Amino acid sequence: MEKILEILKSIRSDIDFENETKLIDDGILDSFDIVSIVAELCDAYDITITAEDMEPENFNSVQAMLALVERIMDEA
Amino acid sequence: MALSSFSFLAFLAIVVLAYYVVPKKVQWVVLLIASYAFYLFSGIEHVVYIIGTTLITYGAGRWMQKIRDKGQAAIDAAGDSLTKDQKREAKKAAAKRIHVIQVLTVLFNLCVLAYFKYLGFFVENINRVFALFHWDASIPFVNVLAPLGLSYYTFNSIGYLIDVGRGKIAAEKNVGKFALFVSFFPSIIQGPLFRYGDVGNQLKSPHKFEYNNLKFGAQLMLWGFFKKLVIADRVAAIARTVFAAGFSNYTGSHIFFGVLAYSFQIYCDFGGGIDITRGAAQMLGIDLPVNFEQPFFATSMGDFWRRWHMSLGAWMREFVFYPIMLSKPVTAVSKSFRKRFGSHAGKIVPSVAAPLVVFFLIGIWHGLSWRYIINGLYNALLISSSVALQPLYNKLAEKLHINTQAFSFRVFQMIRTFGLLCISRIIVKAPSIRDALKMIKALFTSWDLDFIFGLDGTIFTYGVGEKEMFILFIAILVLIVVGVLRESGMKMRETIAKQNILYRWALVLGLLVFVLVFGIYGPEYDASAFIYGQF
Repeated sequence: MEKILEILKSIRSDIDFENETKLIDDGILDSFDIVSIVAELCDAYDITITAEDMEPENFNSVQAMLALVERIMDEA
Repeated sequence: MALSSFSFLAFLAIVVLAYYVVPKKVQWVVLLIASYAFYLFSGIEHVVYIIGTTLITYGAGRWMQKIRDKGQAAIDAAGDSLTKDQKREAKKAAAKRIHVIQVLTVLFNLCVLAYFKYLGFFVENINRVFALFHWDASIPFVNVLAPLGLSYYTFNSIGYLIDVGRGKIAAEKNVGKFALFVSFFPSIIQGPLFRYGDVGNQLKSPHKFEYNNLKFGAQLMLWGFFKKLVIADRVAAIARTVFAAGFSNYTGSHIFFGVLAYSFQIYCDFGGGIDITRGAAQMLGIDLPVNFEQPFFATSMGDFWRRWHMSLGAWMREFVFYPIMLSKPVTAVSKSFRKRFGSHAGKIVPSVAAPLVVFFLIGIWHGLSWRYIINGLYNALLISSSVALQPLYNKLAEKLHINTQAFSFRVFQMIRTFGLLCISRIIVKAPSIRDALKMIKALFTSWDLDFIFGLDGTIFTYGVGEKEMFILFIAILVLIVVGVLRESGMKMRETIAKQNILYRWALVLGLLVFVLVFGIYGPEYDASAFIYGQF
């Protein structure tokens, strides 16, 4: 969780990631932010996130992103 | 049947009645019949294309699903006799076969689209080349009119194919229900685009009669009629005059007047049509995606494209932007840039490549002509540069002590964005590229304040006289007020519903009377095609 929060803050320091649950639905993160986040996550956890994973529910909150990362690592 | 016509209203009334009278299990059949009846009104000779696309896409979907299901069943049946790696290999093999079917069918759909949209352009230019070399040959070409809603139902079908290919949704087993998804009548003309998992499911499901749906749907349609008939069709005359070939008064204020008119026209025409579409669908209990969110309040071009033609933006994001940005070659390049030149450099290559592709596609989606290509690239350049130059802008704001959160800064951003959009509109609407450049130059040079403030009366000679201009002014004021309210979060119809009964009825009836009295029903009316119906 801490690792992800660090990554998120480094991309958008102006967002309260701890408490936001509608990062995508409310348009808080735009598509460029998301792609940057995905790139960092792939690097940090050595996983591959593809276009199929780009669902709002996977990126609406830190918890969702953590769940996505863990799921991909499990399936590998 | 134009969306803004009385015949459409009559048609809709019959459909809504039938829809809520029949047993819920066959409601979708009513919609299917209605959609094809609507389609036939527009030309019986074109039905063969939508049926073709429907059947081929349906078939491909079921084939992909069969491969996926069979593959999964085989893996499950084998159980523990297969290792995890072997299971993964089997899944991969199935995915590959599915991918081939997906790609071929998507290509087929794109070819049909390209044939209608682009054949003319290619034949014309090939013939030009022949003429250049003084060859006698020339390819004969009869301009074929594209089937109604070709772009929209093709894009929806492609989305369906990719969603099934990715395993996001299960293929539709019932060909009738799938045909409804492709042909749904309010949205066939000009969108909004939608996904099978969302609207497709809604279309199949039973819907209980709810008075609120009828009420809110009708109100939304009324608002759409207001935008289209009172504003768009009225202001069209000004735009037509200023952008006509041979219009010679290229002074800044006249051009700006024309561009302003055209901006209102295109927003109220397209937006109004979408409101009518969504309102009609709502009366049937179907919730179609929103396509516009106060686009003129945008603070940047990126923001604008998140507020304008949102369903096309979402489609591009899902099926073009993310696949490109997350593809192996792009991520590899981006990674190596990041390692060598830092994290911002890593962002630049994909943020230039992806918008270039997306906006080029959006550009040519409108048609294959230089104005659309240039406009697409213009938008791409603005978006890419804003991402690439973001650190520079931040530094600038810091150095100049600009508070980027202040309201005044936001106003500056809105004006700046509107200015950038004016250039885009000129590129698209001017009679030629040369004229476009002249017009853009004029915007920055000659200005005639007497004209702009109506002091010398010529402002009333562009197709909208004094009385008409006054009505337009009131209507646009209402539009702006509603825009501001919506931008601040107010939900108009819900808020109106909460007011006391006299006020509610006065408001709605007032709008209805305004539309009936001041809507443009002249000789233009019967031919009132929607601008975006041609795309």
